[in-house]
Amino acid sequence: MATVSLRGLTKKFADTAAVNELDLEIGDQEFVSLLGPSGCGKTTTLRLMAGFLQPEAGEIRVNQEVVSSPSVLVPPERRNMSMIFQSYAVWPHMTVAENVAYGLKFKKLSRAEIEQKVDRLLQLVHLLDLKERYPGELSGGQQQRVALARALVVEPQILLLDEPLSNLDANLREEMRFEIRRLHEEFRITTIYVTHDQAEAMVTSDRIAVMHQGKILQLGTPEEIFDRPKTRFVAEFIGKTNILKGRLQDGERVYFGEGRSVRVARHDGCKQGVEVIVCIRPHNLFLVGTASEAQEWNQKGYNLFSGVVRRRIYFGDAIDYLVELPLHHLSLRVVSSPSHRYDLGHKLFALAHPNHCVVVREE
Amino acid sequence: MSLPGTRVLERIREGRGFRLKRWDPTLPIWIGAALFVVFLMLLPVGSIFVTSLYNELGLTLRNYLEVFTEEAYLKAIWNTLVISFWVGVIAVLIGSLLAWLVTRTDLPWKRGIRALVMASFVTPPFLGAFAWTLLAGPNAGLLNNLYRSVSGAQEPLFNIFTMTGLIFVMALYSFPYVFSMIANVCELISSDLEDAANILGANKWKIALTITLPLTAPALFGGFILAFLHSLSLFGAPAILGLPAGLHTITTQIWAFFQYPPRMDLAAAFSIPLLLATMGLIALQKKLLGRRGYSTVGGRGGQKRLLSLGMFRVPVLLLVLGILSLSVFLPYGILLKAALAKAWALPLTWENFTLGNFAFAFFQYGDTQAAILNTFKLGILTATVGTIIAALIAYITNRQLLRGARYLTFFVLAPLVIPGIVLAVGLFIAYTRPPIILYGTVWILFVAYLTKEMPIGFSQTESTFKSIHPELEDATRIMGANRLQALKDITVPLARSGLIAAWSFIFIGVIRELSASILLFTPQSKVVSVVIFDLKEEGQIGAIAVLGILLLAVSFLVILGVQRIVGRDLFATKE
Repeated sequence: MATVSLRGLTKKFADTAAVNELDLEIGDQEFVSLLGPSGCGKTTTLRLMAGFLQPEAGEIRVNQEVVSSPSVLVPPERRNMSMIFQSYAVWPHMTVAENVAYGLKFKKLSRAEIEQKVDRLLQLVHLLDLKERYPGELSGGQQQRVALARALVVEPQILLLDEPLSNLDANLREEMRFEIRRLHEEFRITTIYVTHDQAEAMVTSDRIAVMHQGKILQLGTPEEIFDRPKTRFVAEFIGKTNILKGRLQDGERVYFGEGRSVRVARHDGCKQGVEVIVCIRPHNLFLVGTASEAQEWNQKGYNLFSGVVRRRIYFGDAIDYLVELPLHHLSLRVVSSPSHRYDLGHKLFALAHPNHCVVVREE
Repeated sequence: MSLPGTRVLERIREGRGFRLKRWDPTLPIWIGAALFVVFLMLLPVGSIFVTSLYNELGLTLRNYLEVFTEEAYLKAIWNTLVISFWVGVIAVLIGSLLAWLVTRTDLPWKRGIRALVMASFVTPPFLGAFAWTLLAGPNAGLLNNLYRSVSGAQEPLFNIFTMTGLIFVMALYSFPYVFSMIANVCELISSDLEDAANILGANKWKIALTITLPLTAPALFGGFILAFLHSLSLFGAPAILGLPAGLHTITTQIWAFFQYPPRMDLAAAFSIPLLLATMGLIALQKKLLGRRGYSTVGGRGGQKRLLSLGMFRVPVLLLVLGILSLSVFLPYGILLKAALAKAWALPLTWENFTLGNFAFAFFQYGDTQAAILNTFKLGILTATVGTIIAALIAYITNRQLLRGARYLTFFVLAPLVIPGIVLAVGLFIAYTRPPIILYGTVWILFVAYLTKEMPIGFSQTESTFKSIHPELEDATRIMGANRLQALKDITVPLARSGLIAAWSFIFIGVIRELSASILLFTPQSKVVSVVIFDLKEEGQIGAIAVLGILLLAVSFLVILGVQRIVGRDLFATKE
């Protein structure tokens, strides 16, 4: 049982706030990712939670008890947390088994109990055969799993992960994402996961907090974050997106001047008549070649853009088009299936359902 | 289930606990070590400064006036500058040539050459100077005798008791500093950098001029400054080779101020310019090396191709061995001969062979036994305490444990700019008066050695800690260990070889120390280097050779032992 709440958390390094009045509530057994570009304060937030850093303002509560504040700092060793580090931090002078057993040393367990727990965890991460090896004799992925086993064997209330996969190669990284989620479903430990990789956050997390400049811009499930970004930064950081600037009017229409407009998805918080940004994901647009077909879709309520193919990139499972819209003075990226091809210079029409045209704030 | 920490929190709330704000049970250790180091450095320098401003009449600038108007004293300063300049130039020529040959060409027998450079580094310069008096003294010098018998001339070929001779000997024992610096840079420059210029159209010479040389230039100049500083602070060699010719340098002049009647105020005033000069040069060197980010020169994994010397391989090897024979083979040979001969200048025949020098040095000459004991006691004690303190300070600065930790670096490295003899002046003034009187005991030597060796201990341990990722410790903390346990279980075992290396560097530095010892010893607290200096006055050449061999043998044994424990080359520039 562990809930974590951060309230008004602030940490400064040399007068610049790395974490700035940050609020975050994490429920019991929840897996939350802190996602953001480097320097956004996500690792600092994690190290604040671990107790390696003390906040200048605000507090961190675990199960309602204050563990960090400007006047209180429970040291890391008494927080009943585990952490997996970016460098793995597997101790090179201890064998795999000794690494995993280390945390149990402080728990007053018999030798047999320790051995049993270590073996169980090593089995779980498929390292039992390598238990007498030294870390220098293991591959990066194996070291990563040692770090996982070492963190889980102490049965922590809270698990902290600091970019644990960033040093692995692409294939292994993808495999370990699922592994981490699988282990979470098995142990149900409250987990905070720091990453700059949106795919990692999507696969592993119950909720994602997108961070920028020491603040959380948006908190939500992976679907909410991806489909309903609230700001331009979130929309652009998570996946590719087309950006169109216009003025919100007539309820759910955005006008781009010269009478051209799109219908947009339901939104909250934007006043009528203000400048807004419309985000359309490239894969939510589709292309048709004839005006009659385009009109048909338009009648069903789809937004219609007419343009010319200016660039085409073949990815095998998809084709990425750049479509120039002469009437809007801008270009759209469209990702479509490779079953139908349009040549460069070809005139065509791009369509998007209003639900996929999302209004976001500039900041 | 509640957090273990919450129990503490409850106690705090009830008012009977303790506040946890920034509290760490190991904090007193860090603060204590930091204060100790600051005290260690400030006291001698402060003492010199204050004393230089006083005479029997009170606050005055007359000491400075006297020191800097007297022609003899100015001559000593001039001599020092001339000598150090040429030592710097020659050391750079020899050091960079050897470094380049060893790192960038297919010269054979590289390991052996590195070992010989290390031997030159370990040889105390005063011992080398002494050996060269036997080799190239104008009357009985072995090389001169050889020359006379071959050519039939009357005049000697060399006279080592000249400024040229002094420069020659000092350069022989300064070039290893340049060598290690240049070798480092050469190993960092990957051939890719040169290939990049090549593919853009530069030929071999153009590459050397526009890429390789500019990349090494700061290191060359830095090496010059290092060698310059090294010779600036030497006392033994100028005392042995310069004084018989009436040639004073700053260090021998400071020593002369200590002879009867002692003029402490003048010694202090004379020390200040030396102190300022070294400070300025170190700052300059740092600036030169710091600007272009040397750690990034190579990036990683850059392949190095070795230049083929072709038909010159053997001649170049002979040249290199010739140079190294000047610093190692010839001096060691003559020392060994002198130690085993009744008359050192005569051929080592069976009639001339004796072990009497050993018996005399170890059993008959009054001071040696106590001095040997003192030397090794001080060596072990200083190395042990020094390593611990240096490691604590390095840990503080590396992990930013205290506020203002980076200023600590300044204090620990400060002795780099304090020549040994100047340090001794400061310590002498500071510890001959209350509240702490150490003069007359071995403890003042201990303090001197500890201060002097702090920079090398610090830089060694600091680079060790730098190589241990802090997350290794963080991982321990979050698993339930406190900071002391983390140190014990993780940091110390991982730092072990670095700490052992630091210990041996300090030990070797201590047992060969002369320039501070020469002012601080008393008849009750002599060390081997001082006894050698005494024996020199008495002309006991065999006994000097015996003691010199003892120092060298112990140094090499320590290095070999440590290399066996640590499993790597202590003086390797890579890794």
